[in-house]
Amino acid sequence: MPARNHKRWNEVPGELREGEYIDSRIYSDRAIFEEELAKIWKKSWIVACHESEIPEPYDFRTTTIAREPIIVARGSDNQVRAFLNVCPHRGNTIENRPSGSFRNGTASGAPRHMTCMYHGWQFDMKGNCTHISREKEGYQNRLSRNDLGLRRLRCEVHFGGFVWVTLDDAIGKTVEEWGAGCFDCLQKHVDAEPLEVFHYHKAIIHANYKLWHDTNSEFYHDYLHYHNRITGFNDAYFARQNTGFENGHVTVGSFEVQYDKYEGFESRESLSFPGLPPNHWYMIDMFPGVNFNLRGSALRCDIMTPLAPDRVLIEFRGLGLKSDTPEERMSRVRHHNSIWGPFGRNLHEDLLAVTTQQAAMNEHAEPRRILHGRHENNTIHDEIGMRHFYDEWGRWMNRRPSDPEKPYAAAA
Amino acid sequence: MIATHDTIRSTIYEASLALDECRWGDWLALCDDGFYYAIKAFSPEIRYDMTYLDGNRAEMVSMCDLLPKHNTDRSPLARHTVVYRVAVDESDASASAVSSVAVYRTVLDGMASHVEAGSSNLFLVGKYHDRFRLENGDAKFVERIVQLDTRRLDKGSHWPI
Repeated sequence: MPARNHKRWNEVPGELREGEYIDSRIYSDRAIFEEELAKIWKKSWIVACHESEIPEPYDFRTTTIAREPIIVARGSDNQVRAFLNVCPHRGNTIENRPSGSFRNGTASGAPRHMTCMYHGWQFDMKGNCTHISREKEGYQNRLSRNDLGLRRLRCEVHFGGFVWVTLDDAIGKTVEEWGAGCFDCLQKHVDAEPLEVFHYHKAIIHANYKLWHDTNSEFYHDYLHYHNRITGFNDAYFARQNTGFENGHVTVGSFEVQYDKYEGFESRESLSFPGLPPNHWYMIDMFPGVNFNLRGSALRCDIMTPLAPDRVLIEFRGLGLKSDTPEERMSRVRHHNSIWGPFGRNLHEDLLAVTTQQAAMNEHAEPRRILHGRHENNTIHDEIGMRHFYDEWGRWMNRRPSDPEKPYAAAA
Repeated sequence: MIATHDTIRSTIYEASLALDECRWGDWLALCDDGFYYAIKAFSPEIRYDMTYLDGNRAEMVSMCDLLPKHNTDRSPLARHTVVYRVAVDESDASASAVSSVAVYRTVLDGMASHVEAGSSNLFLVGKYHDRFRLENGDAKFVERIVQLDTRRLDKGSHWPI
């Protein structure tokens, strides 16, 4: 096939049909991005952190969802709650550290309270306003603490101890219902005993968040990874199944990875998760941007925070069992980071690939088609995972992924 | 004593030059057979001492040997290393040193090279905590712990720091 002129370049290639390609504008258009925050990210269950990051009463963790600052805190009753991290007085963020404890007092506030340092307003761990400086003098009987509680957010600890938060009070689904069965392949392994986060780092890359989700949900790009080719490409690998679930989630089935095929790496057969056969590898991609990746001895979780059409924050966590011995923990750390750490063999390659993908999709550049048209009986290199995701995306946005100026229509 | 301190400093700077120029063999030649390497960071987010990468000498040799098989951002890294403290234990023929290190990346590829290539950006900051074995006026690394302050590492790297 010769190189194509402009007319041929803009035609749908071959016999691909709607649903088998995407318009690149959904990765670069600012209006679409803002609409995604409003229609998807503010309406979904999103992972805020893991419960092991707030192990003690009064521990807290801060994050953002769709630009809204969030605080997750463990109360004296051991319950994990989430609030907007916004003081109802002048709109400051109440807590500015990424994590810590309210057990001890702060410069402006009392122990066991969240205190806005600006004017010293205080809140208990259930979000009740407990102190307003010179309350009666300033507000007389016009306003009281009862009117000024924090904005409570729905929050659940689920699927291996992850803390899920939604900005939508009327979401109508529990986290279990939101998962729609996609976590069944891992749930008994990660819920058998408490997990603990041992790894955390961040990346902000020039890429749309969906491109990162794509790279997690399609394995055709294993050609990018020498490690995966050498440890994986065999009949069992090519038989792995992609399965779509309601709400846009996708799982990729397991097989036995031959880690010792990579020079300098060891088999992971001596360490796994409860009930999970050694050296296995499951993937769960949850709409709109949370990913769980379990390679035998280490669980990885990616949480995406879209920042702009071409910019996403990705938080990478690695988890093992809270009961790990120091030796087991070190093995899990090494297994996780040798592939997925910031200096690991695969993660750098993935980040490089999606960044160079975005580099050809500048805002207002000529739209082009991104192909999702591989059909291989729903096995590992079938692109059904992305097709499933974008069909869900189209319904939430009422836009057609192949032509976002048209309303959603189910692919034939 | 002064000569020994100079030897330690010189070895640290030679290592930085070799790493900057991706001369992995020359870097590893400065390392003892019992060498251990690790990149670590404390995360205030999860309140945990993390190990981002580690390995013994053989594992680092293997990692470097396999680099050509991987897809890597070829943008050069430049280490600005300043040796802050050297301590020599003559009775044990050993030494330790603490250096500050800032690593800059000069973009070659990995993004829109037409726009970005040639720009230099701070990649990470941290400290080298080094231990040495001294023999015949020579110093060999027996351990290098790269203790990072930076935890937002964006695209990361395949290369030792």
